[in-house]
Amino acid sequence: MTVHIQAEKLCVEFPIYENSHRSLKNTVMHLSTGGRIGMNANQHPVVRALNEIDFEIREGDRVGLVGHNGSGKTTLLRVLSGVYAPVRGRLSMSGRVASLLDVSMGMDPDATGFENIYLRGIMDGLLPAIIRAKTDEIADFTGLGDYLNLPVRTYSSGMLLRLAFAISTSVEADILVMDEWLSVGDAEFSEKAQSRLDVLVSKAAILVIASHDPKLIAKVCNRRIHLEHGVILSDEKLDPVASDAAATA
Amino acid sequence: MAETDKFAVQPHADATSQQQAHSLEHWRSHTGRNDIITGLRAMHVWLALGWHDIRQRYRRSVLGPFWFTLTTLVMVGVLGFMYSELLGQEISDYLPYLGIGMVVWQFISTAANEGCNAMIGAGSTIKQIRMPLTTHVCRMVWRNLVILLHSLPVVVLLMVFFGHSLTLEFLLLVPGLLILMLNAVWSGIVFGILCARYRDVMPIIGNLFQVGFFLTPVMWRASDLKERAWIADINPFNHLIEIIRAPILGTPIMLEPWLWSLALIFLGFAAAHYLMVRFRERVAYWL
Repeated sequence: MTVHIQAEKLCVEFPIYENSHRSLKNTVMHLSTGGRIGMNANQHPVVRALNEIDFEIREGDRVGLVGHNGSGKTTLLRVLSGVYAPVRGRLSMSGRVASLLDVSMGMDPDATGFENIYLRGIMDGLLPAIIRAKTDEIADFTGLGDYLNLPVRTYSSGMLLRLAFAISTSVEADILVMDEWLSVGDAEFSEKAQSRLDVLVSKAAILVIASHDPKLIAKVCNRRIHLEHGVILSDEKLDPVASDAAATA
Repeated sequence: MAETDKFAVQPHADATSQQQAHSLEHWRSHTGRNDIITGLRAMHVWLALGWHDIRQRYRRSVLGPFWFTLTTLVMVGVLGFMYSELLGQEISDYLPYLGIGMVVWQFISTAANEGCNAMIGAGSTIKQIRMPLTTHVCRMVWRNLVILLHSLPVVVLLMVFFGHSLTLEFLLLVPGLLILMLNAVWSGIVFGILCARYRDVMPIIGNLFQVGFFLTPVMWRASDLKERAWIADINPFNHLIEIIRAPILGTPIMLEPWLWSLALIFLGFAAAHYLMVRFRERVAYWL
């Protein structure tokens, strides 16, 4: 089986529970009185973030998601990374997914750098032996040296980002899900980081990235999906020649 | 459409062999159906996370988790001294009885209350990476078991100090603690999911366990109830405490508490499994 993502009539809705709705009271009242109150009690306002979208992403696709704030880009990325399941419709994926949505996710400020590397690793489901093998490589890459033995709350924000970046890009994935292109650190580190990210992206069979930067999309993507109000406005192939031109322009 | 249909994630064929070597099976691709088993089996994850919590909490404290040891010593000492007189009991018998009951009750009620917060508290993680929800519950249970294991030895030492000796039945403590732990796991899953959806469940559970303390033979003995002994007989907490207390105290081992505790595990996990199958994928939306 090849790496692919397929969505059919994919719907994601967020129910809004107000205080009065979120409590047991209304459910109990619903049971005891039925009728009108019950109707109100069960009708929560709903935000439909993705509305019956269909798409298929195949191996080799580099998909750029574009759209205004609130158009559903991040929600779609979260659906792809397995956090939100479709409320209706169908999503099938094959391949190992890695998501770089929030790089500093799960960082514990009071834990040391090494502890954070380990904790993040086990939360990703990696076996301890694999994490240990990776630790040296991650530690090397951050260039933080002995700082890794100190609690990360003592780090500067730049150092924290270095560590977070090194940890979250140490994955191996068939499907890579990203929210904006990551860029971190001072000039020297930034260059190192870019080449690491390039390698990661080139190894992945599928890349899905949300971005507000048209130049970036033109540079790294070969397909652009335009989302607006939770529906796909356009889904077009990007001409590699044109994108090369755009990148150099 | 069934939950599994909506969210079918098949590991990549080539990746499967690699994946087994690198990461846990079903870690990401689990569904509500195998969330509990996948979570329970990933022991090294919740052992590490729970242990990390303990270290975190006491990182800058000199006594660390031994604060629990000290607190237990003081509480049991003072209460034992007072209530043995009030209830007209021999302090050397009453103190170990009270001590074990209190320590186990502390575990039960803390696990229940923290269970209510298990999903809500792990909300930011749940909304970032997919892993079995059961992991968050096991982490909490293990953390509280570590605390229990810091307090229980004090009581055993007090008992020996008062001239009692341990019997061979003491070994039953091991299955007893395992049963206690599993009961905490299912209740954490059930309470955790319910509380994520209905925020009023938390104070309800809190109140129930507050009242429960007085209905459970911790400070008094079931035999004191005389004609109303059924209150203790139908109280599951009583049985859960008894499977720990009897082996330590060396009192006769009854079958009834063990059967109750095992039945509770089966019923509880059935309920937890039902909630997982139906609502595993909804929890992220409720947080």
